[in-house]
Amino acid sequence: MSRMAISVRKLAVGEIVEVDGRRYEVVPTRDGELTLETPITPMDELHAIDGAKPASAEDFERLSGHVPYDDEG
Amino acid sequence: MPSAGGGGLSAEIVFGLRPWEEEVERYHQLSPPRIRAQNARKMIEAGDRRLDWLNCRPDGRIPLPGCRKLYVPLGKQAPSEAPYGFVFLLVQRRDSSLAWTFVAFGERHPSNPKTRTVYERAYKRINGCYPA
Repeated sequence: MSRMAISVRKLAVGEIVEVDGRRYEVVPTRDGELTLETPITPMDELHAIDGAKPASAEDFERLSGHVPYDDEG
Repeated sequence: MPSAGGGGLSAEIVFGLRPWEEEVERYHQLSPPRIRAQNARKMIEAGDRRLDWLNCRPDGRIPLPGCRKLYVPLGKQAPSEAPYGFVFLLVQRRDSSLAWTFVAFGERHPSNPKTRTVYERAYKRINGCYPA
């Protein structure tokens, strides 16, 4: 039985790859391994398209200062 | 357009196409999380009910300054009744108006330890990487 030569493509965290027409991002797991998951487009990139930017802390306080917090996130 | 604010101020609630695809449409079309997210969005956009907003914590392990959240299904609080959440970030748009822009949807307390929480997903969208 003959062996086929396999070329291994090296990937790094943050790289986007396409598998069968679907895009995936290389991300770290909590235990230090790597996995592929569907990409999360960063807000910076979305803001560059729509011209928005994060509001100031003062604006947040004016609109949301009265809103309660909880302990989970 | 739905809006939310306080003290006479308000900001429109905006669901962007790309975040919606990446956060909600990653789930199978008939899966409970996707259906619940779609129903919650319809109710938010209808604007005919009070929304139980909570601010996200600006500090802690997953700091999300400038963010608010809603538990899904809307109107429920306990994780057993509302296992999912929407996170929104306050942004200033090109015309200087303010908007709560949709950032993330997902599980609040995933039973699978490999699944990222909605807060981790929000952090990644805002900061470009998962929290350490």
